[in-house]
Amino acid sequence: MRARSRRGWCFGLCAALVAPLAAAHHAIVAKFDEAKQTDLRGIVTNVDWRNPHVHVFVNVTRPDGTLENWAVELESTVLLDRSGWAHDTLKPGDSIRANGPAARDGSRQIWGARVALANGRQVYNVTDKPPTVSRAQQKPVPRGADGKPLLGVADASGGYWAYPTSTVLQQAGANVRMNSDGVLARLSDAPRVAPFQPWALGLYEHRQERHLADDPGFLNCKNPGAVRQLQTPYGVQFVQDLARKRMFVLIGGGNRNYRIVYMDGRKPTGQVQGDDDNPLYYGRAVANWDGDTLVVETTGFNEDFWFTNGGLPHTNQLSLVERFTRTDYNTLRYEVTIDDPGAYTKPWSSGWELKWVEGELPVYFCQDNRS
Amino acid sequence: MKRLITMAIAVIALGMLATVGAQEGHPLKGSWLGEWKGNTVHGDNILLILDWDGKAITGMINPGTDNIPIKAASLDPKGWVVKLEADGKDKDGSTVSYVIEGKIENLELPNRSISGTWSSNKGRGPFTASRQ
Repeated sequence: MRARSRRGWCFGLCAALVAPLAAAHHAIVAKFDEAKQTDLRGIVTNVDWRNPHVHVFVNVTRPDGTLENWAVELESTVLLDRSGWAHDTLKPGDSIRANGPAARDGSRQIWGARVALANGRQVYNVTDKPPTVSRAQQKPVPRGADGKPLLGVADASGGYWAYPTSTVLQQAGANVRMNSDGVLARLSDAPRVAPFQPWALGLYEHRQERHLADDPGFLNCKNPGAVRQLQTPYGVQFVQDLARKRMFVLIGGGNRNYRIVYMDGRKPTGQVQGDDDNPLYYGRAVANWDGDTLVVETTGFNEDFWFTNGGLPHTNQLSLVERFTRTDYNTLRYEVTIDDPGAYTKPWSSGWELKWVEGELPVYFCQDNRS
Repeated sequence: MKRLITMAIAVIALGMLATVGAQEGHPLKGSWLGEWKGNTVHGDNILLILDWDGKAITGMINPGTDNIPIKAASLDPKGWVVKLEADGKDKDGSTVSYVIEGKIENLELPNRSISGTWSSNKGRGPFTASRQ
């Protein structure tokens, strides 16, 4: 009776913890404080294997002999699965040691920077890396009937672009240190990230000081816009509709939205008469070929989202010129020039590369924290 | 009757909350609803429409037939201090020169607010407005 009651209590506590956590999608630094490193030893009570973040619940014995249930938060199921881990790698009853930063709000949660079994074997660590391609496996850049490179799927094997070499945006040559979410190592470097107008710099610094906790991409599953779509960990897929001279850019995360790039010579204006004053998350994109590089020009963005990781502001005056070059079968070079006289004092540029991954986009959906 | 009025106010308030749109661009851009208390010339309630064109903050107070255009506006990111100047007319057609000074609070929220004071040649008082 007592055991069942304790199990029930434990289940209730876990369920109470799981409910808010299941919807907790966020940048790691927004929730966890690197300065509050915590070391836990305890017994696993539950493994909640679901996106956006996996949680392992652990009963930790306090010095006075009482038990505390802690949540150890981990990466998504997608990244853990790619790294060879499964929901039953850890089971209730396993003895583990977990360490990492604790939650900023003082709740009993840590980010599982390292999780190990009692025998020292590390588990649930992310070892996911882009697929390596030997020279023998290199294939020529696929081309369409018009002789232009295909940026998307070339055959039935499928494929998409992922593993961006940069997941942050800063002007070329700035070399400002920041983490993969775009959080600056030193706030005093903020003015070097981009040629901000004073209000935009102030807002960028405010977002940085709040550890990007207000990111609507995480809080409300807002669309990433054009640039951030190329920074997402789960990739993008290009679907070229050559007959209708347009290309869909599908996102491998978020709420499965997509961007349309028109290649039929139209102007980047509203597609419906009188629609020009309806700014969009992905703007209005038109493209032309410059040799083997697809040059995409986009205007007409709304202001309801963050257009890049790290919280750089933009206005509806934002226009982008993006250059996509498939330099070899497995590599896509992305270059972008940002011109937003509403937020920046001059146009500025950046760029990175993405790698080709065979297969379908991973299944990963954003969850709205405020719904 | 009192209960009915309370319910109606609650429904309207909820509706207003639900319609607060995200706005991640210039912090002042948008519609702001609030009060300039003690304003015997133009009433206690105020609606501000503000815009940002990349160089200047523009807008108007109480859009309508007797709207008051914003003459000058500034936002200092150090402390997010707002200053608005506008010239309206009273019933006799005399100029009422307003200065609104305040500070943006909860900058990160779509329904951020401005708190401060208003003053004119006809009076002064507290000012509050929240973005709709």
